[in-house]
Amino acid sequence: MASRIRALYPGTKLIIALAIGISAFIVPTYWFGFAAFGLAVIVAFVCGEGKAYLKLVRNSLLILLIFMFVMRLLFSGGKTIYWQWGYMIISAESIAVSLAFVSGVLALGSFLLLFFMLTPVKDITAALSNAGLPPSGTYVVLSAIQMIPEMRKQSATIMDAQKTRGVETEGKLFTRIKAFVPTLGPLILSSIASTEERVITLESRGFTAPVPKTRLYVVTKRRVDTTIEIIVIVAFVAVIAGRIALSLL
Amino acid sequence: MTSPALIRLDDVSFSYPNGHLALENVSLSFARGESVAIVGQNGAGKTSLAKLMNGLFKPSLGTVSVDDIETTKRTSAQVARQVGYVFQNPDDQIFHNDVYSEIEFGPKTLGITGDELEERVYAAAALTGVGPQLDENPYNLPFSTRKFVAIASTIAMGCDAFIFDEPTAGQDQSGMRTIGALIESLKDSGKTVITITHDMQFVVDNFDRVVVMANRRVVADADKRSIFWNLPVLEQANLKQPYLSELARDLGLGSDVLDLSEFVASFGAIRSRR
Amino acid sequence: MSFTYATAKDSSVRDIDLTIEQGELCALVGANGSGKTTVCNIIRGFIPRFHTGEMSGQVLINGEDIKETNLGLLALQIGFVFQNPFVQISGSKDTVFEEVAFGLENLGVDVDIIRSRVEETLELIGIQHLRDSNPFDLSGGQKQRVAFASILAMDPPIFVIDEPTSQLDPQGTEDIFEIIKLLKNNGKTILLVEHKMELIAEYADHVVVLDDGALVMSGTTSEVFGSPELATHRVAYPQYAEAALGVRESGVPLARIAVTREEALADLTEAMHS
Repeated sequence: MASRIRALYPGTKLIIALAIGISAFIVPTYWFGFAAFGLAVIVAFVCGEGKAYLKLVRNSLLILLIFMFVMRLLFSGGKTIYWQWGYMIISAESIAVSLAFVSGVLALGSFLLLFFMLTPVKDITAALSNAGLPPSGTYVVLSAIQMIPEMRKQSATIMDAQKTRGVETEGKLFTRIKAFVPTLGPLILSSIASTEERVITLESRGFTAPVPKTRLYVVTKRRVDTTIEIIVIVAFVAVIAGRIALSLL
Repeated sequence: MTSPALIRLDDVSFSYPNGHLALENVSLSFARGESVAIVGQNGAGKTSLAKLMNGLFKPSLGTVSVDDIETTKRTSAQVARQVGYVFQNPDDQIFHNDVYSEIEFGPKTLGITGDELEERVYAAAALTGVGPQLDENPYNLPFSTRKFVAIASTIAMGCDAFIFDEPTAGQDQSGMRTIGALIESLKDSGKTVITITHDMQFVVDNFDRVVVMANRRVVADADKRSIFWNLPVLEQANLKQPYLSELARDLGLGSDVLDLSEFVASFGAIRSRR
Repeated sequence: MSFTYATAKDSSVRDIDLTIEQGELCALVGANGSGKTTVCNIIRGFIPRFHTGEMSGQVLINGEDIKETNLGLLALQIGFVFQNPFVQISGSKDTVFEEVAFGLENLGVDVDIIRSRVEETLELIGIQHLRDSNPFDLSGGQKQRVAFASILAMDPPIFVIDEPTSQLDPQGTEDIFEIIKLLKNNGKTILLVEHKMELIAEYADHVVVLDDGALVMSGTTSEVFGSPELATHRVAYPQYAEAALGVRESGVPLARIAVTREEALADLTEAMHS
């Protein structure tokens, strides 16, 4: 099962993620969004990435969700007031609104995270290539992704270099922040310097040769992918139709 | 009890956070004013050793002491005031847009100001030959010159000990000479100089004591003549003799030659016996 | 096939007239800043395309001026490997296999041919065991070998190699010179910039010396490394030549000045018994 999920065409996976995520905003009950999140977690575990996925969600979405929830909770007004202080009002309506909004963001966010977790960047760029993205675009995306761990390493090295010049980086949080900021300059400078040299490398590999490029690694859309996409799109349209029907009644 | 050692490692082992063992049971001691070359293949543990000595790494087992204070009792920046370290890649430690500010940064951080600060910058620039480039952007200079800028920036801090990591990589003949003269000058000022290098010829020309590392351990610690004529140790560390020593050996000159004058003398002696 | 050029660009290099024959390994030596990398950039077409400044004169490859050739297509004729292993990885591939295939992809080569070429190349360079590794996780020496493989896969007849071993340890250096020997045996025309004179003396057919932007010496390894003029241009002699010169100066007559280990052994053994 896990391998079949992973083997889906990237475009297909994205459509599923977006359909479910956006539906959470359309469907009138906020339970849909929370259920969707539950589904995402299940899928993550089925694919063997459960723990990592939960950690990722916690580190990226959680703060955002809490913030959004509190904002909507306190500033949406409403008639059935439970608590009030100045301009801040907690009411039955504001609770409902904030829950609905948060469930939507949770559903969309968690499915997009799942998408990126289950789809290697190679696959994404290969699919983008199929869709017409030029090789320079592919290159930019791929090297940017690869660069991130490298920049982290470089940042750590620069912090070490700062230490060797007597700059205090350990201790209170404020000290550490104060020490981190000046490392951004060298980090950017050395990234620019190595970018220049990497351009030379690209030239040496014929990157700008005016010939159509071939690709060693490709992803292909299969019939099952197209079938799933059609089903998902139809379901999504049904959801929208249902919502419109509901509001007309 | 005070010891004459400025830097001391007592049965030190070090593993990275990911579990990778980098150094095993290393015990070494470096006195004030001593100059030492550390040689060995990549992966033998040389850079880990250097970073333990300047406080960037803290030992997993054993103790590292600088001036009788264990490095675990101080922050890296505090140890760095006494033990300077020049990275193998100068681009990892260049922070400023002009050479002058770059050299000034270290001593300034340590609290040096005014005339003394200026003197230090000019002195360090003179020793490394970058005086004419003080207004230049380091990134507009060739790699080997940037290396000298990094060295100058560290020397200007006035530490008690300096560790140079592969200072000769990419240097031409005059660059080698400048580094040699610089080491001599630091020694004369009573500084401890520790140099990690692959260049056996450079070791012969500038150092007396050599520490050989292999497979995360110290396998030899002696004067250069003993080391460069100890073939089993060199083999164990996957190192070669300096070219002239090897040639002398191949010619059967019979004595443990290290440099050109010894070679010529030895050659003459053998020849005249025939 | 040969290439010739005469150039003058600002004051970086002046009036360079250089001809390199097909299959020749031409070594370019000189102090840092003497113009070696500028010459490499001119041959590869980076000057004047990428760099500002004036250039006069021309670069002819096989009699054809490369001024108008598309730079990407020029990669089919001239391969380039340089000092920093880290930036010679494209950064967009996560296995060595694909990294080596990258150039061929860019040149629109058929996928089946790409596969067989990459296999051959990995075999030739001896890095089959690295095929599934992420290029970023490799050591400097391994990255450099991958860089060579990536260029060799495109099979250009000419290689311009700029200080490939500066950042490597002795084992890494040896591995790279093995590759250079291999390229030479495969009939490639090579321009090599290096500081390691003993290795140049061993492998080069033709040595060119630059001093302050001018081409000051040109000849075989014996002619250049045996000449007293070399020292005036701040270039080191191979240790074997130093030995021979020293022995001759001490009064022992020598017919020639050896520049390689074999020559030194032969000459000095003979001199010992004469």
